[in-house]
Amino acid sequence: MFRRFRSLARVLIGRRRFEDRMSDEIRFHLDAYAADLQHSGLTPEEAARRARAVFGSVDGVREDCRQARGLRWLDELWQDLRYTWRLMRRTPAFTAAAVVSLGLGIGATTAIFAVVESVLLRSLAVDDPGKLYFLAHGDGDRPSTSSNYPLFERYRTADVFSGVTAFRGTALKVSTGELVEIVPGQFVSGNYHAVVRAPVIHGRGFVSESDRPSEGSDIAVISERYWIRRFGRARDVLDRTLTIEGRTVAIVGVTGAEFGGFTPGSPVDITLPLAMYVRTTPRYLQAHDSFTSMLIIARLRPGVSEAQALAAVDAIFQQFMEEPENRWARGQTQLFSRARLQPAGKGDDWLRTQYRASLFMLLSMAVLVLVVASANVANLLLSRSTARAREVAVRRCVGGDRWRILRQFLTESAVLAVLGGACGVLLAIWGASLILALFSTWRQPIVIDVSLNVRVLGFAAAVTLATGLAFGMVPALKGTRVDLTAMLKGDSAGSGIMARRPLLSRALVVGQVALCVMVLVVAALLAQSVRSLKARPAGFDAANVLLFDLNVSSSVVPRTKLESLYVGLLDYLRRLPGVASAAASTSTPIHTSGDLRGLALPGLPETPEARGMWANYVTTRYFETMGIRVLRGRAFTSQDMFSTHKVAVLNQRAARHVFGDADPIGRTIAWMGAPEQPIEVVGLVDDTLQDSLRADAPRMVYSPLTDTQLPRPIQVALRTTGDPISLAGNVRTIVRSVHPEFIVERVRTMDAQIDAFLVRERAVTWLSVAFAFVALILACVGVYGVMSYNVARRVREFGIRLALGEREHSLLRAVLGEAMSLAFVGIVLGVGGTLLVRRLISNLLYGVPPHDLETVTGVSVALLAMMLIAAYLPARRAARVDPMRAIRAE
Amino acid sequence: MAKAAELLPGTLDMLILKAVSLKPLHGYGVLLRIQQISGNVLQVPQGSLYPALYRLEHQGLIAAEWGESDNKRKAKYYTLTAAGRRRLREEAAEWNRLVAAIGAALRATPDEV
Repeated sequence: MFRRFRSLARVLIGRRRFEDRMSDEIRFHLDAYAADLQHSGLTPEEAARRARAVFGSVDGVREDCRQARGLRWLDELWQDLRYTWRLMRRTPAFTAAAVVSLGLGIGATTAIFAVVESVLLRSLAVDDPGKLYFLAHGDGDRPSTSSNYPLFERYRTADVFSGVTAFRGTALKVSTGELVEIVPGQFVSGNYHAVVRAPVIHGRGFVSESDRPSEGSDIAVISERYWIRRFGRARDVLDRTLTIEGRTVAIVGVTGAEFGGFTPGSPVDITLPLAMYVRTTPRYLQAHDSFTSMLIIARLRPGVSEAQALAAVDAIFQQFMEEPENRWARGQTQLFSRARLQPAGKGDDWLRTQYRASLFMLLSMAVLVLVVASANVANLLLSRSTARAREVAVRRCVGGDRWRILRQFLTESAVLAVLGGACGVLLAIWGASLILALFSTWRQPIVIDVSLNVRVLGFAAAVTLATGLAFGMVPALKGTRVDLTAMLKGDSAGSGIMARRPLLSRALVVGQVALCVMVLVVAALLAQSVRSLKARPAGFDAANVLLFDLNVSSSVVPRTKLESLYVGLLDYLRRLPGVASAAASTSTPIHTSGDLRGLALPGLPETPEARGMWANYVTTRYFETMGIRVLRGRAFTSQDMFSTHKVAVLNQRAARHVFGDADPIGRTIAWMGAPEQPIEVVGLVDDTLQDSLRADAPRMVYSPLTDTQLPRPIQVALRTTGDPISLAGNVRTIVRSVHPEFIVERVRTMDAQIDAFLVRERAVTWLSVAFAFVALILACVGVYGVMSYNVARRVREFGIRLALGEREHSLLRAVLGEAMSLAFVGIVLGVGGTLLVRRLISNLLYGVPPHDLETVTGVSVALLAMMLIAAYLPARRAARVDPMRAIRAE
Repeated sequence: MAKAAELLPGTLDMLILKAVSLKPLHGYGVLLRIQQISGNVLQVPQGSLYPALYRLEHQGLIAAEWGESDNKRKAKYYTLTAAGRRRLREEAAEWNRLVAAIGAALRATPDEV
């Protein structure tokens, strides 16, 4: 097989030489034969003539030789390509329409697939990612991966693993000169890079660092991204140091940009040894009493199966839970029942869970658009093939076989598909980044490298191939099946088999309209969902509020000083022109719910459902700034901030849970952790939506900000008199001018905060609307094209009808009626399809009634209108036919 | 001269391989050689010779080289390759088997049935 390819290739390269040599050889043969004939007595001329006659047709022999060498099909392919090229240049509008349709369809599908690939399918850029596992625990679908150090130490003894390591994500305060920047980072156990086998492009990673703080603990490994961003890829980076929260840290290595840690979408820039964290929190190494956001990763030893590893891990886990220090966890049987292994080769699945449903929905929509585009091109090809029927008939009559003509038609489809695919790939490059940008927000910037790698290009090629076959096959088959006699008798386009309404063409139009309906309805429903979500009463006033995160750069500011700093800052902010009110809190609406804590409620079980409350620590004037109604009692005053008499404000849900319908004002509550410390309830406020626009309002207990451990990151809110954007630019400098230790991050308006929550819904809606728009354009173009062609085909018929006295507008109505009936059938089918699809997308919708007649009707009417417009021009052309010319024309 | 017989379909390749196996030949030489070794019975139709040669070369059973003929003209000479030698052996064996079988069938007398 290979040999034949090689021989063919050799011939192709020296084609001219091959032909010359072949001529030489044949000539030699003829001369030798003629010479022999001369010897037997013929004259030279007679000998030459005889030789040629016996040899036969030289061209025939050459053709046979070429075929023997495998050249014939290549020559024919080249012929087909040139013919296709000429044909395309002759009909540029047709070619453009087809290529653009395909480009849009293939491009959209490939773009979404590129995003799917980078978010859902890609593995981490480490060696052998399939062998990495999170060591987790718990029952149910979502085992918990949070662990603690003592458990980590136990796991390290397991010999089913070639290495066990741990990491803990954090936000690091890095000083560059005057400014302090918050950089995403992580603390890792001393063998992290050795176990994970991440790509280290400079220096070294952590192989055997100690987890106990020592002289050599102040080292860091940075990411390539950070190296570029902060140091401009300086060659001497390993001689540089970082100042992290006051400590000088030496850089010892750089990891490649393709690896960003175990949280896809949120890459880590600075990796520090756990020892540095232990230095500030020594009890971390022995902390049994919580499972504290430390994740444990293990690499399976070669030859060990997952089942064996799980058994080993579970044994260790059960033993660990029996230890006396872990008795507190006994009550939570679901969470601590057994150990689990979770594959870590693709990192943790937060991003994937968030976006899996949306991405698949978008992919389906893109495929529908592609199908509509292919139907368009198929219809265009069908129309054209019937126009070329005469040509085909002639070719077959002069001896061309059907297969050869079919191959030429298929070559045309293939060229269109390839051109469309190329455009599509270009579109996909741009589109994929755009799509990811839509999903990224200030709050959760998603940093993923979407590239056109082998998988994506392979997908594009496969889609192009499938599309080309789909739209090319049937028109080619139909086009070559031609009734020769009828054709040549001169019944070209007017009658014969052509007079019968082309069923396939109409079926395609109906199909396109149906798919269009589905895509439009889904887009409309999604848009409505977003509107409903935004309109949902949230318990606070979202207008004119500016927010930012506030942090303090060094953790060693004494607490009293910190409190007075905060008070001073808020006073200053409140006095600014344009600011009506200001306050600070640990959580804000549509952002976070707060800290989950348990109330001391004897008589109720010790579970989050029975005793859980969300604690939000706020300053004075918080409710006024947020626009939350105080229903009974009062808000906090400055005395509450600093007094020993503890107070709290409840929201309605919390009050109802604890006190039923009774008045909560003046009653006392206490937290489970401090049951002897009574807290007086002084106020009752409206419920607010905190974590999510979709979920119910949580039960909230508001306490003074001074009641919580400081410093901790807090959020500051300003209610402005004008547009909050106007203050956004200056707020950072204003705050730092009050005290340079303050770090301001993530300045945003409340509207932006809500939008960030809705980012997924909004992005999906935008994209669906874009797809729906494209599908609509394609369908209209399709209808227009088919109608135009049909009218041109039936010119004679219309001429006759008009000549026989039919009125112009009646003919117009008849033609339009035909088109509209197709559209109508398509709409009915489409509506049916939508009902089937609704179930699939119902979890992305919100507040949209199950069988939303309004949306469906609206879409149907809009679509009918568009179809009407698209069909009008061709219909008018039909009515304007000049009967005389039509009847005479062929 | 014996009456010329038509070439049985499928045997041209085998005969070309045999002709070339004795000595490197150009196309016309192959024609003459086949005629000669068959006792002037087999005449190769000239139109099928070169396509067959090109096909065998494409399949790697014969190799071609340009050389000089007796009268100092450039000609393309074909030789047998190792694969070609193997194929020739196989085809010859198959042919002999076929001939023996048909011969035996034709010699069958009524009382052998």
